[in-house]
Amino acid sequence: MSHSILDVQHISKTVNTAAGPLCILQDICFSVDRGDSVAIVGASGSGKSTLLGILAGLDQASSGDVLLDGNSLAQLDEEGRAALRAKLVGFVFQSFQLLPGLSALENVMLPLELHGRSDAQQKAEQFLQRVGLEQRLAHYPQQLSGGEQQRVAIARAFASEPSILFADEPTGNLDSANGAKIIELLFELNQEQGTTLILVTHEQRLAQRCQQRIELEAGALLNNSDTQAQEPQPC
Amino acid sequence: MLSLRLLWRNWRSGELKLLASALLLAVTVVSAIAIFTQRLEGALVQQSNTFLAADRLVRASGPFDEALFASADAAGVRWAQTIQFSSMTYAGERMHLAAVKAVSAAYPLLGELHISDRAFSRDPAHISAVKHGPGPGEAWVDGRILPLLGIEVGDLIGVGESDLTVTQVIVREPDRGGGFGFFGARVMINTADVAATEVIQPGSRIRYNWLLAAPADRLEPFLSELEGKLSPHQKLVDLKTAQRGLARTLDRGRQFLGLAAMIGLLLAGLAIAIAAGQFARRHTDQVALLKSLGSGAAQIRWLYTQQLLLLALVASLLGLGAGELLQRLISAAVTSVYPVELHFAGPWPYVLGLVSGLLCLLCFALPPLWHLPTVPPIKVLRRELQVDSVSRFSQTALGVVAVFAMVVLYTQNIKLTLTVMLSFFCILAIAAVLALGLLKVGRRLGSRSGSSWRLAWASLLRHRGQTVAQTLVFATAIMLLLVLSVVRSSLIDEWRLKLPEDAPNHFFVNIAPSQVDYVEQLLQGEGLQSAGLYPMVRARLVSINNAEPNEALKQQASILSRESNLSWAPELPSDNVLLQGKWWPELDLNQGHYVSVEQGVAKDLGLKLGDSLGFSVGGLKLAAQVGSIRSVEWDSMRPNFFFLFSPGSLDNYAPTYLTSVFIPPQKKTLLNQLLQQYPTILVIEADLVIEQIQTLSAQVSDGVGLVLVLVLAAGIMVLLAAVNASMDYRLQEAAILRALGSGRRRILLSTALEFFSLGAMAGIVAVIGAEVLLLGLQQWVLQTPLQAHPVLWVAGPLGGGVLVALMGLWASRRVVSAPPMLVLREL
Repeated sequence: MSHSILDVQHISKTVNTAAGPLCILQDICFSVDRGDSVAIVGASGSGKSTLLGILAGLDQASSGDVLLDGNSLAQLDEEGRAALRAKLVGFVFQSFQLLPGLSALENVMLPLELHGRSDAQQKAEQFLQRVGLEQRLAHYPQQLSGGEQQRVAIARAFASEPSILFADEPTGNLDSANGAKIIELLFELNQEQGTTLILVTHEQRLAQRCQQRIELEAGALLNNSDTQAQEPQPC
Repeated sequence: MLSLRLLWRNWRSGELKLLASALLLAVTVVSAIAIFTQRLEGALVQQSNTFLAADRLVRASGPFDEALFASADAAGVRWAQTIQFSSMTYAGERMHLAAVKAVSAAYPLLGELHISDRAFSRDPAHISAVKHGPGPGEAWVDGRILPLLGIEVGDLIGVGESDLTVTQVIVREPDRGGGFGFFGARVMINTADVAATEVIQPGSRIRYNWLLAAPADRLEPFLSELEGKLSPHQKLVDLKTAQRGLARTLDRGRQFLGLAAMIGLLLAGLAIAIAAGQFARRHTDQVALLKSLGSGAAQIRWLYTQQLLLLALVASLLGLGAGELLQRLISAAVTSVYPVELHFAGPWPYVLGLVSGLLCLLCFALPPLWHLPTVPPIKVLRRELQVDSVSRFSQTALGVVAVFAMVVLYTQNIKLTLTVMLSFFCILAIAAVLALGLLKVGRRLGSRSGSSWRLAWASLLRHRGQTVAQTLVFATAIMLLLVLSVVRSSLIDEWRLKLPEDAPNHFFVNIAPSQVDYVEQLLQGEGLQSAGLYPMVRARLVSINNAEPNEALKQQASILSRESNLSWAPELPSDNVLLQGKWWPELDLNQGHYVSVEQGVAKDLGLKLGDSLGFSVGGLKLAAQVGSIRSVEWDSMRPNFFFLFSPGSLDNYAPTYLTSVFIPPQKKTLLNQLLQQYPTILVIEADLVIEQIQTLSAQVSDGVGLVLVLVLAAGIMVLLAAVNASMDYRLQEAAILRALGSGRRRILLSTALEFFSLGAMAGIVAVIGAEVLLLGLQQWVLQTPLQAHPVLWVAGPLGGGVLVALMGLWASRRVVSAPPMLVLREL
């Protein structure tokens, strides 16, 4: 088994706009080891979310490739990438992305059901208990606070036991107390499950807890630093 | 099963309720109309076939071959025979030329004979309904023959050479019909007694009718086989040929129900499309999330297809149940008012209801949902990303094709379908332009009015595209409802117009010139108004432009093979219209005789103005030039003639007179007085036929009225769906306004004004559309006179505005009752 779970090779992303082609990402290279935590930081509009989308196989790069657990995303079609996401990837979003018509339990069960897991309910209950929401199983998203909703989202992400978890501003919609709790939870689960964490964040507190920090500016990699004194890992 | 669980969760969250309700309504409307119309039609056809006393009959001038009877028995077709002829009837010294009808044991095959043991009684206690005719040796007679011959029930009556006992008085005879075939009072006898009367001699004018009845699946094959066996003198007759007026009433009823079904379907389809569009919008983000969780397009497509199919199945079954229930309610309402027996509709309407649900979903719901599996997963991170949905054009095109196919399948009337659909799409295109124009006008008005108006118009203008789309949807629903209600009322009016309450219901024929004064005085004495006395001369048309008509023309125009009634009139009769030529005062009558010809005959004979016609009146020659061509309202129950001459033209030809008059039941005994005084005058009693036609029309009108209620429900559903579909952004805006400090009243008022403006704009567009659509229907389908409908111009905009405003307020009540924070959080 390869040491790195994510290998980003010279990816660029250009989109066509009315004013002509717009380069959002240019020649990004780095790799992430299995079980590591990585923070992608940068100003608004620097291309963080676009990069996250490409790393997770939600979007395609204009050039370059991403090897996710050794699988070339550029070689896969959408169906292939979906299958890979189902197998390897979990998500946590800034806006939680819970389905409003589903209870907390059903929201966590959904990916397990989609993957045909027969123990969906048991697993979902277990993870909701793990995030401290065992009393809130039957509650709907609008009956939960922002912090609780994000905990449901984390339970949903970890319940399918992904190898790698992508989080897009996971504390962006939360106050600092709730944000701190979510950060704790994410890292605890990261440790417990050995899941690789890729975070897009503005929050210094969160970025500093990650082992690796990737800083973007205007779509270019400004700095790839090891926040815990490890060697940078070039392509 | 995951899709079942997802379906249940979507249902519980309320996202499917609108779609499911629209689908349920579509199936309910289609199945209720289909089942009810099938039952009503079955009942009406059967009831109207009682006007024939059979499903079909074969009319002949000579006796039928026994082999034919055997073939009917073999095919399981019930049959009866009637033989009709004129014969002198006697009692002592008195005599009367009666219309004798001999009937076989099975007569009548359909319908009932109403008989009484006393003459002129209208008391139900004295009247009984029977399903057989008189037995051998018996005679059942019209009431008026009793005083005419000076006999009572129980006495003997002489028919030809035979004496029969009068046992019953006939009150109603199902197949009496109209026509001038045989005059005089009815004497009904058994076919077994015909030979003994010795009336039937070579050369006698006898009409033989062979009555047939069987379920359609047995009757139709038998008839198609029979047609090959019939001689040229034997003619197969159905209601259409026997009773033109009735057949038209039924056809119109069917056309209306077809139109109602089509409009119901269009409305329900529209509601489904809107609901599906809303469902798709809400599910775009959900699909992006599912994809981020690892679902592929194929899995998503399969999940949604399964959910939709399950939904279609459940909604269709429930809709079918609701439709069945509804049609039972309608049937119960109809049968409580009119004595009509409704039969099982057969499996087809039920199948149609189920198939409609599935087709509606496929054609209306699938296009807006089609793009869901292709939603890119990146949308989960970038919610602002626009998703390529199936173009509106493709969605509309698919919807149109589906509606067209379903409607043709349903109404089996391509002309009606094409007229409605083509007009509909022309109107939609024009309406879009119109709605934009109205929006501009509204902006100007809005900027000059109070703050709530300004707020309302600002909101409409901000969402210009959506405003136009919503106006079109509202307008479509309102337009279709307006069209349907106008068509219904004009149909009912037409039926009423055709047969007003005091339509003449008796014809007096063969009045000698010396009897004219007596008849006029008798009628005046009773306070009765006749349609005028018309002279009548029987003559045969023998030459056109001094040449004998050729064989081909004789085949084509039946008027050449029989005698016609000629008449003269100083004025053009009130229900005639001059189409070509001039009326008498403008013609030079010194140049010879002129004749005005009815347009149908003129067309059959290829006549034009100035052609000369030669008639033979009992061997005497009469020549006249075609001076004019006119149309005649044959259903008016007034005396009408193919050939009308200028006054004086027929003086030398010994005319008799003809008139028609309305005689109310309580004055019918005057007929006895008239006939006792002048037994040679022939009286045709059309009152029973008219009563039957009026009952039938009333049944059809009531049926269509109830169907209208169903379609109205579909229309309201569309309005609700459209209002609901626009609620998300309206709620959000209103909640923001409330958060910024706007008062509830102001928001409520501006919301009401916004919806009122939308509804009123839609109303204006709808009225214009309805007028165009009605024009098409009147011109090409219903063939009724073209007319404008001023009431619509008030009812459309005002009704539309108020209705839409109420629905809008109802849908947005939450925004003023719930705290704005809660509303914003839920959106």
